[in-house]
Amino acid sequence: MKSIALTVNGEAVRGTVEPRTSLADFLREDLLLTGAHLGCEQGVCGACTVMIDGAPARSCIALAVACDGTEIRTIEGFDDDPRMAQLRAAFTKEHALQCGYCTPGMLISSHDIVSRLPDADEARVREELSGNLCRCTGYVGIVRAVRSCLGETVPEVEKAPAFKVERDMPAPAPAAPPAAMPSGAPELLQSFTVAHRTDAVWAVFQDIEAVATCMPGVSLTAKPTDGHVEGQVAIKLGPIAAAFAGTAQVTLDDTQRSGVISGQGRDSGSGSSVRGEVTFTVVPFGAETRVDVTVAYALTGALGQFARGGIVNDLASRLTADFSANLQARLEGRAVETTEIAGGSLFFNALWSVIRRLFGRG
Amino acid sequence: MKPVAFDYERPASLEDAIALLSGAGARVLAGGQSLGPMLNLRLAQPELLVDITYIPELKTAERQGDGLWLGACVTHAEIEDGAVPDVTNGALAFVAGGIAYRAVRNRGTVGGSLAHADPAADWVTCLSALGADAVIAGPSGERRVPVSEFLSGAFETALEVGEILRGVWIPTLSSAASWGYYKFCRKAGDFAEAIGAVLQDPERGIVRTVLGATNARPIVIDGAYGDESVRASIDSQGGDMDAYDRQVHFVTAKRAAMIAGVRVA
Repeated sequence: MKSIALTVNGEAVRGTVEPRTSLADFLREDLLLTGAHLGCEQGVCGACTVMIDGAPARSCIALAVACDGTEIRTIEGFDDDPRMAQLRAAFTKEHALQCGYCTPGMLISSHDIVSRLPDADEARVREELSGNLCRCTGYVGIVRAVRSCLGETVPEVEKAPAFKVERDMPAPAPAAPPAAMPSGAPELLQSFTVAHRTDAVWAVFQDIEAVATCMPGVSLTAKPTDGHVEGQVAIKLGPIAAAFAGTAQVTLDDTQRSGVISGQGRDSGSGSSVRGEVTFTVVPFGAETRVDVTVAYALTGALGQFARGGIVNDLASRLTADFSANLQARLEGRAVETTEIAGGSLFFNALWSVIRRLFGRG
Repeated sequence: MKPVAFDYERPASLEDAIALLSGAGARVLAGGQSLGPMLNLRLAQPELLVDITYIPELKTAERQGDGLWLGACVTHAEIEDGAVPDVTNGALAFVAGGIAYRAVRNRGTVGGSLAHADPAADWVTCLSALGADAVIAGPSGERRVPVSEFLSGAFETALEVGEILRGVWIPTLSSAASWGYYKFCRKAGDFAEAIGAVLQDPERGIVRTVLGATNARPIVIDGAYGDESVRASIDSQGGDMDAYDRQVHFVTAKRAAMIAGVRVA
């Protein structure tokens, strides 16, 4: 626990917080200032916007402990503020709110726009408001309200009546179970060549434990029996760390030199789940061997929030290269190098691939 | 969701920060506008956060030699508002104003963004085009890496364990220099799908085209702009981009060149 001292709405406040406590939770739970709303808790929706040292900021991704010594102003601290009174009146006049959930954040961002950019045109107002999401109004009324306050001299206004909201908070809904892999799930194709004969490469693929050793980050927790595998895939990528524990079923076709791995795993840390199917084929490629891998996966949970674009492709190629190098090393009797980032090529490729398809441009 | 429990330290000097970072599980907090969401989603589970935003020297911005020193903890909003000297004919302020949203720019820092190493973020592309250096401090002293080589992959950088990105050094553009920066994203404030940045500085003999929001580090093309060389660079360095990605990157680069007033015919 850490002791903090800060100014909130003009009053000196002391508190003791866990370092992980967000400013929003400190304001809402400890100080009972519930005007700042929590929407997404990941800095996207803007409902939690408050002023930190006079500038709007997301209180959901600011740590309370990091705000030690700062001056905070929440929507409650604007009751007597003439500019905010003007904005409140404009919001009422222009029907700039419906359910009101986004309104505290909207008002604080609007206050900043009106103070900082008195000459803003409509396009600029819309751009500046783009960090505050409203799902009711369609923004037309909000933009109109903000524009009506631009360039105005701030009038003297009567103090608005204070009011208090009391209600019981419902218990949070239980987390939804991981979704099944959708039929026709998107596929990722990867190929690599190994400078060894097809027989030798196929022999490695028949040995589940050997394949697992070639996937850095993968550890088996039980001896494979009848193709049933239990284990864990550890992933580290920059600040992201995840460990998917799960099971898989491996089916091999000796005549086609192909196989299917069907599995599912869950990272209890982030509450993310992944399930999917990996198909691989080992084919002669001149004097060498080519391995074709097709992956179809579905990912649910927090990891899905973080990916766009070609990050996945870059990772996929790096990780496939690691796996192929390890496979080659094993075939030559050298020690297999393990690197923490390459979280099991097949699992990891797939996981990122699905993130990309869901949230990216692929 | 709430973050896992971690410890928090607010060192007063760079030396103290480097010492704190020697332990496993320690991460730098330099504004937290990217790390914050990852903490809340428990994708990042550090044991210790070292908040470097209260180290005075990391908040400095000043002309230094033939360029500008920008401490790692200078915020995007400070750059947007012109609170730092302008050595880039307005390029830094323009790019800063297009990062995410004002509430994020007020706390997000140039060093935090670079070290987070998201290929779609703005500074890595912009600063690569400007020819900036990343200045890195660590237990064994200071070293410099061109920003264009700072990313080793998505979310991975040249920083070793215990090292901190102290800031960046940006060379001063000549008064005749022109630049173009074009970012393509679906929604204001969103991460870019593609970024083009072009610098033309005839007095220093520089024409440089940079393609950002790629799969890893940006693609840097030195020399006169040419459609064919841009397409060839995308093909050879763009990794596993599909036809759409290639075209969007090509178009953003060309638009940046046109904005910079570079001959594109």
